Amino acid sequence: MNRRVMLVGSPNCGKTLLFNRLTGLKQKVANFPGITIELAHGPMPAIPGVTLTDYPGSYSLRALSADETVAVEQFHAGLASPEVSHVVCVIDVTRMEKSLYLTLQVIRHARRKGKHVIVVANMMDVLDSHNVELDLDGLAGELDAPVVPLSARTGRGMPELLDRLREDPPRQVPEPAPAPEIRIEINPELLIQQQAHRLAGKYGPRGDMLVRSQNRMDAFFLHSWFGGLAFFAIMYLLFQSIFTGAAPAMDAVEAGLGAIAGWLVPLIGPGMAADFTSDAIFSGVGAFLVFVPQIFVLTLIVGLLEDSGYMARAALICHRPLRFFGLTGKSFIPMLSGVACAIPGVYAARAIDSPRRRRLTYMAIPLMPCSARLPVYALLIAAFIPQTTAMAGLVGMQGLAMFALYFFGLLFGLLVAGLASRRDAEADADVPFILEMPAYRMPALMPLVQKSAHRCMHFVTKAGGVILSVTVVVWILGYFPNGGTDLGTSWLAGIGRIIEPVFAPLGLDWRYGVAILTSFLAREVFVGTLGTIFGIEFAEQNMVPLVERIHSSGMDLASGAALLVFFSVALMCVSTMAILARESGSWKLPAKMFAVYGMAGYVGAIIVYQGISLLPG
Amino acid sequence: MHTVPLWTLNKGQRAAIRGFADVLPDSYRQRLTEMGFHGGEIVTCLLRPAFGAPRVYRVSNTVYSLDEDVAAHVMMQPLEAGA
Repeated sequence: MNRRVMLVGSPNCGKTLLFNRLTGLKQKVANFPGITIELAHGPMPAIPGVTLTDYPGSYSLRALSADETVAVEQFHAGLASPEVSHVVCVIDVTRMEKSLYLTLQVIRHARRKGKHVIVVANMMDVLDSHNVELDLDGLAGELDAPVVPLSARTGRGMPELLDRLREDPPRQVPEPAPAPEIRIEINPELLIQQQAHRLAGKYGPRGDMLVRSQNRMDAFFLHSWFGGLAFFAIMYLLFQSIFTGAAPAMDAVEAGLGAIAGWLVPLIGPGMAADFTSDAIFSGVGAFLVFVPQIFVLTLIVGLLEDSGYMARAALICHRPLRFFGLTGKSFIPMLSGVACAIPGVYAARAIDSPRRRRLTYMAIPLMPCSARLPVYALLIAAFIPQTTAMAGLVGMQGLAMFALYFFGLLFGLLVAGLASRRDAEADADVPFILEMPAYRMPALMPLVQKSAHRCMHFVTKAGGVILSVTVVVWILGYFPNGGTDLGTSWLAGIGRIIEPVFAPLGLDWRYGVAILTSFLAREVFVGTLGTIFGIEFAEQNMVPLVERIHSSGMDLASGAALLVFFSVALMCVSTMAILARESGSWKLPAKMFAVYGMAGYVGAIIVYQGISLLPG
Repeated sequence: MHTVPLWTLNKGQRAAIRGFADVLPDSYRQRLTEMGFHGGEIVTCLLRPAFGAPRVYRVSNTVYSLDEDVAAHVMMQPLEAGA
């Protein structure tokens, strides 16, 4: 029978680095709908037939949130499995007390199931660099479990750990749980807490030498001015990486798909099959594959920030202003990412440990002024805002309008989160903001690259089907009954005419209605669809003729402003909705957001249209 | 016994934990205790960042950042310098 080994430990104890060393980065990650915990499984090449399972880092086996509950349930399910031979519990020897609390709980539960526990005393390299020696044999004696000194970073101690894992575990008779009357008199958690404190005092490192260098760096990175400057510099680099750094790869994806389509479609020959392959399959696949580089870059950078220890400092810096809106400091990076694209932003929200604040962050992200809104904004601003300047040429009206739209999106997202947090019944069941400040470390790149690749695969496999399905439906509506020769006489146009009264209060006719309908695939499709309807090729690249046709169509400033409000607020991206459904565990949240944001955008657009129309002149 | 909230400690000041205010939810107490914030433990305030940002405290050899929501309800007995 194949054996399994469970790997557990508190957050920031170096457990994942050890997992990567033991499995050689060959792992499969199991996700759980609606929560952000992951269980990674990987075979151990050094011990054939043995699989290692990495459990989420936890401070205790008493869960506070839904995420933690699932993690603890999975831990107990693992202990109950006959395949599990060993439980490896990793402790950070530089911060022993917080690690020992979990370790003592793990040992207690593992013994009840007759499982053998090996304690790994990780980060011995840090102690070596400070010439600190510990009595780990004494600790092993008190824990009644072997303690293996190890450094997951340098590999020291790995042979001894592997030797212990190769051995058949000593037969252990499951220990019975204490009788109920004893449990009433003795609080086992209090005993464990006292024991962890005593053992850490007796066997842990003394003095503050291990945190001195961390304190010096914190004095800079959390300094009122230098820390703020460093924060803005790092966030600027992150934003640039998502927005412009990923651009060549995104272009390459588009070009690659275009080249494949250019080769494949002529082989099919003219007709509906070729049109479907070109417009539905390749356009549909392209519409979501183009986001993959952004997801990869963001996941990699967020991983670097987390592993280096800076993420905790960034969360601290942002926490106070975001707390006012019911969010947490950890909401900042997902929201900033949302300015480039909501999809990587939703993934980045996994770093938020509070499920409640993560949900509020999900609600704010799609309101960030993402890059898909940019072509729509650019078109409507070019059409209706004059190219004039004010303040001696310092302020351009079109630039000011773009800034106002971005500012509106950011502010509206924060306000929505703030309002939702005040109506939230789960406020009392939240996870407190107690953030461990890990030591500053050099991140290990390869595991992060692998994690980023896994996140991209998750996106492609989980969201791709939904996005492709919607694309195909819209294509069918636009293609029939005239074989795609005239969008104006298609079923889609028919629907556009039926729903024309919906857009009439915004001063828009059926053509704009059709463009809005197609933009639910992705907002930027609005520009291309209008180009198709007005018979202008490559409208995305050259907007001038399209602007002229918009003017001649009778659309005025009031309608333009109304459309801008609608696009700023409405959730019009099927990719974002699909990934929100995956990450939140159901379609309930994205469906609610789609309805509420759509209605809010629509009502806001009517108010703006009617308000501007009432102005004289 | 003179106690003050953890939030009020000055940078570099040390104090011993004497308890939690009643208003602190049980889940918060649980997490604090698991992290090492239990009765008698010595806490040092390492940093008080500007603009009301969460403050940085050292407990044992671990450094934590606590928001006012939490730190205002951890009651401390200040220690004399050098104690």
